Amino acid sequence: MTPRSPNTLAASGTHPLAGRTLSGAEVVVQILADEGLDVLFGYSGGAILPVYDAVFRYNAAHATDAGREPMPLIVPANEQGAGFMAAGYARASGKVGAAIVTSGPGATNMATPVRDAMADSIPMVLISGQVPTHALGSDAFQEAPVSNIMGACAKHVFLVTEAEQLEATLRTAFEIARSGRPGPVVVDIPKNVQNAQLVFNGDSRLPIPGYRKRLANIQQARLTDEDCQRFFTALAAAKRPLIYAGGGVIAATAAPALAAFVDAFKLPVTTTLMGLGGFDGTHPLALGMLGMHGTAHANYAVEDCDFLLAIGARFDDRVAGNAAKFAPNARFIAQLDIDPAEIGKVKRVDWHHLGPLADALQRLTQYGQANGALPSLADWHAHIARLKHTHAMNYARDSERIQPQAVLEAINRIAVGRAIVATGVGQHQMWAAQYLDFTAPRHWLTSGSMGTMGFGLPAAIGAQFAHPEALVIDVDGDGSIRMNIGELETVTTYGLPVKVLLLNNHGDGMVRQWQKLFFNGRKASSDKSLHKKDFVKAAEADGFTWARRLSDKADIDATIAAFLAFDGPAFLEVEIDPDAGVYPMVGPGASYAQMITGDFIPSRSAPTAPADVATTSMF
Amino acid sequence: MRHTLSILLQNESGALVRVAGLFAARHCNIDTLTVAATHDPSVSQLTLVLHGSAAMLDQIVRQTRKLVDVLDVNTLSLVANDHAPLALASNP
Repeated sequence: MTPRSPNTLAASGTHPLAGRTLSGAEVVVQILADEGLDVLFGYSGGAILPVYDAVFRYNAAHATDAGREPMPLIVPANEQGAGFMAAGYARASGKVGAAIVTSGPGATNMATPVRDAMADSIPMVLISGQVPTHALGSDAFQEAPVSNIMGACAKHVFLVTEAEQLEATLRTAFEIARSGRPGPVVVDIPKNVQNAQLVFNGDSRLPIPGYRKRLANIQQARLTDEDCQRFFTALAAAKRPLIYAGGGVIAATAAPALAAFVDAFKLPVTTTLMGLGGFDGTHPLALGMLGMHGTAHANYAVEDCDFLLAIGARFDDRVAGNAAKFAPNARFIAQLDIDPAEIGKVKRVDWHHLGPLADALQRLTQYGQANGALPSLADWHAHIARLKHTHAMNYARDSERIQPQAVLEAINRIAVGRAIVATGVGQHQMWAAQYLDFTAPRHWLTSGSMGTMGFGLPAAIGAQFAHPEALVIDVDGDGSIRMNIGELETVTTYGLPVKVLLLNNHGDGMVRQWQKLFFNGRKASSDKSLHKKDFVKAAEADGFTWARRLSDKADIDATIAAFLAFDGPAFLEVEIDPDAGVYPMVGPGASYAQMITGDFIPSRSAPTAPADVATTSMF
Repeated sequence: MRHTLSILLQNESGALVRVAGLFAARHCNIDTLTVAATHDPSVSQLTLVLHGSAAMLDQIVRQTRKLVDVLDVNTLSLVANDHAPLALASNP
């Protein structure tokens, strides 16, 4: 199904521009409009100028009476910013995000966002200009082998060498980006192809027979009665069943089906970093995040469960740690996914189904409800409640210094269920994952797999364009925000009411935490206490009229309230305790039994060695 | 264990690089690789020989099937050693 903008819908079903002659650049813009895009992100340059001009002309021709452009093109400080804006837009809206950049450095600056989107399964289309076909391979000005570079990073890359294929290629790029396991698709368009005169077809697509056949097989896969019976026989034999839900639940729009399944069978749910919001984090059966920095109660529940159902989750090393010792008491592991390559990739499973997650969950729910009652889980629920009570998240509440967790709790009190939160990568990201509650999908935007510092600010900008009325907060760290600090100006240029929260601990806190644990406290290159930057002045210089620094613990609630209530862009730097750590922590390669809960969360076992993994093999 | 993979590939710009790049990125060493035309000029046939465990083969085949240009992947594995008389375990 292809969404179309109103001005291109024709009653007959054929495209109103079919048969018309358009330039390649005009074809690009028309396809973007047909795909329903209401904002584009990108930075211009020589090899993409025809497309930029076509976007300008399209917006001028289709502006509303109030002068509003149907497809504004948002310009970042750096192309990487445009990539993360498109990703933030896609993550917050569920639609395909689009970015347009020039050749050479424009495209190579997009390698990081494209890889980031691939690793987190985010649908995105990147259009890059390329030198003319006759100059390909000549080491031309601003030429880069984009097909080679992006071929290794993206779900797919097209180099359009025949202008007649441009229209079908672009439409197919969107189809590939959003179908199956979503991902980024790159379309590299030589400048002469942008300038070619083409007859617009209005409906053409590339055949891609291998991809379509495999996709159709998976899309049509349905659980048989035998599949369901085997699943429920194992579930009926279990006393401690647990759901482990990942980002696939959100990508597949399966959160309502998951909620209905849990409502029917009362299995507790732990979510991955990417899965936060895929299940209501305030639900009594929600355990929060599992894994390296998961809640202690979630990780203990994984240790204790005898039945594990993985849904759209892939046993990533930050979750499974030591995969052989992950969920050691689970006698039955079931896995639902859309990607055949994820079944049994890390952990052998006893039962699996490949197919659309929502359909599978609905089918299981119906079958289970129709085929007899399951044994009571009262003992398990009581056990879970005890875990949540005894091993609740906690931190140095009595410290005189500002603890980052207290700041996040203050935000949660005001904005729970309402805020869309983007983050950088590091300690602040983990604290936000631990201390903010997400009640619905697409409110939590974070670079999960790639762990890209600098993601938060541009992702928040993209999310604000997807939801202009929403409260969008970038929770950032001083290391991460530096990576794309140029985008502070983008916030004010476009008058976006983004709230930028900087938890400043004067250094790369997560690196310091590892150095403290595994490198005898040698803070190699991670301490920034001598750095001179005044972030508040920087925000003011970039046009933030509300830019403040919070350094007194007593002011947290009032300052956070004023910060979130400000009607416009707001920047708040918080001087946090530089020694604050992220706990619990399951060391890299360690098992959950070796979890370090820190000084403020009770552990149920005596501390063991941090990890029996050589520092050289840790990652 | 030694494995032979037969891959039918759409003859698109960069398609061969994407297959070879996938194997390199996933730390899978290719012993031999031949590329040949088929009766259909839009389709190439790749034949790869590599060695590794059955689990490694299973994973790399599944990853190869995710490449958009790939039409089909078939494998043939020698189950004993290089001197075994029979090639078995065809995996369509």
